[in-house]
This record gives sequence, structure tokens and C-alpha cells, in this order.
Amino acid sequence: MLSRTADNLYWMSRYVERAESLARILEATQRLSALPVDYGGSTNEWESAVATAGCTASFYTVHEEATQETVIDYLVFSDQNPSSIRNCFRLARSNGRAVRTALTGEMWDALNGAWLELKDLDSRGILKGEELGRFLGWVKSMSLRVDGSAYRTMLRNDIYWFSRLGVFLERADNTARILDVKYHVLLPEIERVGGGLDYYQWSAVLRAVSAMTSYHWVYRDSLKPWLVADLLILNAQMPRSLAACYGNVGLYLDNLARAYGMQGPSQKLARSMRAKLGNAKIDDIFQSGLHEFIVDFIGTNNRLGAAISEQYLT
Amino acid sequence: MRISIRHETRYQYSASPTRVTQILRLTPRDHDGQYITSWRVEVDRPVRLSQSEDAFGNITHTFTAEGGESLTMLAEGEVQTHDANGMVTGTSEKFAPELYLRETPLTKADSAITSFAKEITEEARGDRLNQLHVLLAGVHRGMIFDARPTDTTTTAAEAFAMRRGVCQDLSHVFIAAARSIGIPARYVSGYFRRIDGVVDQEAGHAWVEAYVTGLGWVGFDPANGISVTDAHARVAMALDYLGAAPIRGTRYGGGEEVLNVFLKVQA
Repeated sequence: MLSRTADNLYWMSRYVERAESLARILEATQRLSALPVDYGGSTNEWESAVATAGCTASFYTVHEEATQETVIDYLVFSDQNPSSIRNCFRLARSNGRAVRTALTGEMWDALNGAWLELKDLDSRGILKGEELGRFLGWVKSMSLRVDGSAYRTMLRNDIYWFSRLGVFLERADNTARILDVKYHVLLPEIERVGGGLDYYQWSAVLRAVSAMTSYHWVYRDSLKPWLVADLLILNAQMPRSLAACYGNVGLYLDNLARAYGMQGPSQKLARSMRAKLGNAKIDDIFQSGLHEFIVDFIGTNNRLGAAISEQYLT
Repeated sequence: MRISIRHETRYQYSASPTRVTQILRLTPRDHDGQYITSWRVEVDRPVRLSQSEDAFGNITHTFTAEGGESLTMLAEGEVQTHDANGMVTGTSEKFAPELYLRETPLTKADSAITSFAKEITEEARGDRLNQLHVLLAGVHRGMIFDARPTDTTTTAAEAFAMRRGVCQDLSHVFIAAARSIGIPARYVSGYFRRIDGVVDQEAGHAWVEAYVTGLGWVGFDPANGISVTDAHARVAMALDYLGAAPIRGTRYGGGEEVLNVFLKVQA
């Protein structure tokens, strides 16, 4: 396979996954910002949505203040934001088109259909309330369609593996970012534990990764910050957890190594992170600093992205 | 290095036992120098094989089988290893290193081992890592690899008195000596890919990890007289053989048993 093709497949999936994560972040933000100030806390939720999306600096070159309107505009529709949902679908689709023959008909239909629907959408109507909720639901269902059609129709070879790699690397990055922005509410502070503010923040973190029900299945307990972190970082059963993402990253990199009869720095990096997540205990992570752990993870994940790029995509 | 392992253990009973219960420590974990590409554990009987973790963080499988004249357990898979200059990092650690100073019946240092260890400390004053390397050479040179006189219940002191034993005995002697001079040490069971290309082996391998302050856990293989390399695949770890044994069990009935091990370790 040409490295160019691998690159297109990998980024096609990364952009679709990124669009979905943005939709999830915005859903959680909308929910939190709808709470009375007493519950929601004094932080500006729209500002932390921008931080979670990782585009604080570029956001403020365009807008002065983070409000619902400006944030939705920037994260969903803006042409100036290279990672707006609109741009994600545009880029996913153009990456997909470049390797159209490598994709199944169903996959292409899902990708192309999503872009065509979004392309001419009038942004003014859906900045708020119910319409916004419906729109974010649509984004998630489009990602689900692309993902599902890939899962159900694609031949299991390097084409599929490269596209899966993109999904899980991006997903790991997003879960880590959510934790990074919200880590201050996950840190146990005696006087605040059990307060209304914390409850809503933690449940927002869980809902952002669709893990509210899973949490209760796993722990059968009320919301506790260290358990939320345990679920999202170390629980391999939770499909958006860092451990689960790296289980899959490792798996697809192994498949590639076996198929090409050669392994390199990306396999080594992924394995060492998988081992670290497999052997870590949440108490130790809290003791040596949750924030440091997540920052280190995001750094490693970026290095892995660069290593994959170097090894396969250029 | 890629190491593929096929480890089959077969019990043959003269009469079919009423019930056999086994605990297997046959599944390796990932750490910095080792990555499990694939692994499975199988029992040739209809049993419920339940996976768990013991106190040291080793992966265990337990099961109970009823009746039958033989019982075969298979562990098979592939491990990818990197040479880390003997350092063992990124492992699952459940306890502080000091726990591994604890003496057990199999690793109790008698006066002979204590004075042997003392000579070592005098030879390599101060530097713990250096002491361990001298100890490694001392045990490797001072003891003859011989499977005949010892079995799984032989203590470190007994083996040291005979100056003979297998990898298990040499590891026990190393551990007893290291602990007697205040260095935490632990028993590791696993597999060793032989440099001479011999694939079929009679049993799994065993070696030692010792804790050096400021450096962490370092692996020593007294049977081969070397630090651990990428030819070692680490499976389980404990205070001594009993805690890290690949297979332990008990049974009701069954008369006499014959145990056969078929082990292949190769590229």
C-alpha cells in the first residue's frame, strides 16, 4: 500500500472520530450550562469546552468571549477552525474520496452523505436549545454510520487496520482531554466531596463518554471521583477508556507488523503505554498526580501519532 | 526478540481421581521490556477456568476437574521482548520493595549461606549493584547444575550444602543470600529461549529480581550466570517457588500420578 493511501485512511477516521468527540463535549457543556449557577459552579462551561477541544488560543483570535453562540459557531461551523465539526466532515470526506476504491460502497455513502447534508446546512437555526441537541445527535449518528459500515463491510486487511488506528488514537486523545480539563473536579477535596457541583461535573464527564450506566454496572456505588478516573483510564471493558483504546491501538499495530513482517518505534511506544495502563493502580496515579499522568499520556499519544506518521504515512 | 512458547503439562493417574483442583500461574503480563502478542490457557477437560490475580499481581487461573484418567493443561502464545540491560520496569507492583526481605522456609539463610553472603559484601564493599553481580557469579560458579539430588521441596540451605541444584535451587540460594545482606529479592518463574537453539526443554525457567535503591528491580539469572536479557519471558513473581509456581494443586483419589512436561521455547 502507498503511504499516501495509509495516510488518507488514517486521517479519514481520525476526523470522523474527532467530530463525534466535539459533539459529545458540546452536549455535556449544554447540559452543564443549563444548570442554575449554584449547581453548575462559577466556571464558564463554554470556555472549558473550547479548552477540551484543544483550541483555546485560536478561538480567542476570532472571538473575544466564550459564550454559547461564539463557541458553537467556532466548534461546529467555523471555516477558520481547522477542527470544527464541519471541517472534520469535509476533511474526512476528501480523505475518503482520495482512496475511494479502498472503501466499501456503504462506507463511502456514509461519509459522502454526511458531508452533503452538512454542507448546505444553515448554521443560524441550530445554535440553541432543542435544535442544537438534535444536530449534535445527528453528528453522533453519522459517526456511528461510518464506524458501523466500516466494521460490517470492510475486508480485514491493512486498509481496515489503518482506519481503525486513526479511530483509537483520536479517541484516546479525546478521553484524555476531557480528563485533563476536568481533572480539578476529579481531585478529592474533603469539603467538596459529595457536593451538588461535583455530582453534576462528574456525571457530565461520564455522560460525555456515554459511561453513566457503565459506571453503575462496574462500581455499584454513588459517583466518586477516583472511581470515575479509574473507569476512564484503567478499565479495559469501557470502550472509550485509555486502556481500551491502547488495547486496540496495540492490536492493529501488531496486525500491521505481522502483515509487513517488520516492526518499529510505533509498536514499541504503543506496547509500553499499554503495559503501563495494564499495571497501573488508580491510587498510585492520584498519589503521583492525576494531572501529570494525563499530561504525560497526551504527550505519549502525540509521540505515537508522530511515530506512526514517520513509520507508515510518509 | 520474539519468543514463542508452548507449555503442556500432563498428569496421568493410575485411578481416576474424584476431584482435582489446580491453580495455574501460566499467563505473563506486559511490562516495559515485554509485550504479550497472544496468549491462551487451555485445559483438556470441561472445566470452568476462572481468571484472577494473586496478591503479587500474577495472573492466575483456577479450576476443578472431576474424574478422568489424565489431565492436560496447555499454555501457549507469543511474547515480544526488548533487552533492558537487566532492568525490570513498568511491572505491576502491589507491595513496597521491603516486603521482599521476608524470609520463607524455602529461602531461609542458614549460617553457611549467611557467611557466604558476608564474604561477598566484603569483596564488593558499599555498592549494592556490584554486590549482586559478585553474588551472581559466586552462586553460578559455586553450584553445579544438577537435576538429580533436588526436588521442588528442597530448601536453599539444603541445596547450598550439596552445592548442587536446578535453576529453582540456585535462585533460592541467591535470594537467601541477598536478603541476608539486606537486599530485597524475589523469585521469578518464566521461560528462557536458549542461545544454543535447543527448542525442547524439560521445564520452565526461574531466576531472581533484586531491588537496588535508586535503580529499581534488576533481574539476575544464577543458573546461566547472567543478568536477564531479551531471551527471558517473565511470567510470575513471588517470595519463593511456592508463590510463583506455574502449577499447584490438590486432588482427592487418583492413586499414583505421573507428571510429564512438554515445553517448546523458540523464535
